Amino acid sequence: MKVLAVEDNKELASSIHDYLAGEGYICEVAYGFKDAREKLSLFSYDCILLDIMLPDGNGLELLRWIQQEHIASGILIISAKNALDDKVNGLEGGADDYVTKPFHLPELHARLRAIYRRKKLDGSNLISFNEINLNTDTLEAHINATLLDITRKEFDLLLYFLVNKNRVLSRQSIAAHLWGDYTDNLANFDFVYQHVKNLRKKISAANGADYIETVYGLGYKFNSSKV
Amino acid sequence: MKLVNKFTWSFVAIVLILTPVTMTISYRSIKRQLDKAEGIRLAEMNDNVANKLRAGHASQEYTQSHPIAITKITALPEQKVQVIETQEFNNALNRKECLLTVNSFYTINGEYYKVSSYNFVTKSEQIFKGMMAAVIWKVVLLVFGVIITARIISRYVLSPFRQTMVTINNFRVKQKEKIKLPETSTQEFKELNRFLQKMTDKAIEDYASVKEFSENASHELQTPLAVIRSKIELMAETDIDATQAALIEDVQNAIEKLSSINRSLTLLTKLENQEFETSSNIKFCTVTKQVIASFEDWIQMKQLTLTRSLDKNVPLTIHPTLAEMLMTNLLSNAIRHNIPGGHIEVELSAKGLVVSNTGLPPEIPTEELFQRFKKSNQSADSIGLGLAIVKQICEVNRFAVNYEYSNGWHMIGVCFEGKGKMVSAAERFARLQQISMPA
Repeated sequence: MKVLAVEDNKELASSIHDYLAGEGYICEVAYGFKDAREKLSLFSYDCILLDIMLPDGNGLELLRWIQQEHIASGILIISAKNALDDKVNGLEGGADDYVTKPFHLPELHARLRAIYRRKKLDGSNLISFNEINLNTDTLEAHINATLLDITRKEFDLLLYFLVNKNRVLSRQSIAAHLWGDYTDNLANFDFVYQHVKNLRKKISAANGADYIETVYGLGYKFNSSKV
Repeated sequence: MKLVNKFTWSFVAIVLILTPVTMTISYRSIKRQLDKAEGIRLAEMNDNVANKLRAGHASQEYTQSHPIAITKITALPEQKVQVIETQEFNNALNRKECLLTVNSFYTINGEYYKVSSYNFVTKSEQIFKGMMAAVIWKVVLLVFGVIITARIISRYVLSPFRQTMVTINNFRVKQKEKIKLPETSTQEFKELNRFLQKMTDKAIEDYASVKEFSENASHELQTPLAVIRSKIELMAETDIDATQAALIEDVQNAIEKLSSINRSLTLLTKLENQEFETSSNIKFCTVTKQVIASFEDWIQMKQLTLTRSLDKNVPLTIHPTLAEMLMTNLLSNAIRHNIPGGHIEVELSAKGLVVSNTGLPPEIPTEELFQRFKKSNQSADSIGLGLAIVKQICEVNRFAVNYEYSNGWHMIGVCFEGKGKMVSAAERFARLQQISMPA
């Protein structure tokens, strides 16, 4: 996957670049409006990460320009402005999704993958890894041929793990992914623990390999090299 | 009382007070003028008689056809002409009449004479009666005239004022356009309009700068937070030992808390700025059901029992995001501050929403819990803004909210009708006690 990250903050841009490069994506960075427009006229990208506030222009204007030029990339807006109208304007302006700062890198990646699946893989709704098969339309998970009896949250969790294979997923990031940014509702980590435990139990019961491991003090990791 | 009525009644009062006064003045002046004219005429007649006397004519000659009396007197009084008005009973007419007598004193041929003549003049009551009819007509016409013209004129004169009121009523600080007030030639309204224009312009300006500041502050803080979080996440991927992992976890928790506080404060600012205005109705019952469903696994995990009694079809004019946030905050609060194996009761009716839960007794007065960063038992997984947000949402939507505690039960009631509380707390608590006797 080829990604253009339009983000004026160099440190944040480099974090995004490093994380996505770690997934084997080609990630290019544009630090401003003009820079981004230049890159977009020369090359084509599968997905664009777009910051709304840029030093030399507004991300929403760039969004309009992208629409005018009929650039078919998936667009994920990143913004600190979680003002409602911005969100609405962004999505109406042709963006596919929206994350607010400060986001978790695995969350950004998961959303990027979801856009990519919808736009570029022709709405493919099947994700598989070894014996695990997920259908994002029917929300069904199979281990080989066995249908897993899992809840919606557990399905989301498994998908989150599969998208971010071999990454340390902090409890905070999992909680934010599963329950969203509830105001004044700090991540309930016992809850995360409970869900991960249940998921592992259900996968094992269906004779799947126990890929999910605890990383001491940090969270969990889907270890793909485990057999 | 309407302005036009105030003016009208003042004018009517003035007319009613001044009419008797002016009536008395004109009555007196008419009477005086009549008497004076008659007095002068009689005095002239007396003079004529005296002149004739001087010329040596017999006195009877003049008194025959005229009511004139000529008497000799011993000394002249100081006043040469006396005018006396008396009420005499007239036997022929059988009523009191007003008699004007003029006594003139002369020295004729060394002798002193008093010539007195008299005549009946118009009585006071007669003048008064005549005036009364005219005055009543005058007053009635004046009052009607005032009432009608005041109404017609006020409609015309006050129309710019009414337009100004309409404009101000429709003014929302959120709108970026300045208000347009009607042109007027009235000095007072000109001043009022000038003042309102200045005030609203300033309000719009201030609002815009506050909004800009809160957005900028949020942006400026969120970006460094995003940098820290992403760097920590990348660091966690590297080869680290247990000590480092523990340090990273602490940092992650702190970032989580920081970003949550920042998000909540930004939200509160937005609520204060009335950025969530809406005119559309939503079904609050649906929102309640959705929120309860999304918390079901948490409730199960804490082994709580949730009883609900939700009325169907509760329409409410509230921004959908706020409705969800209100319900989420109330329910998550009820779950978080519950005791293991405790109870939650959610009751929704057209009148309001009541969320009750079992829990430890609060350590500070319950009303104080609505203040920012106030927490009852400094529980680590809360930042103390949840109820402040609830209160703010209620204020924005003009709901009344109250928090009560009794015997192991916490109860937060949101009354959709503004003033007033949800059903008497004591009654509800008594019923709740029966659901569970808290440990």
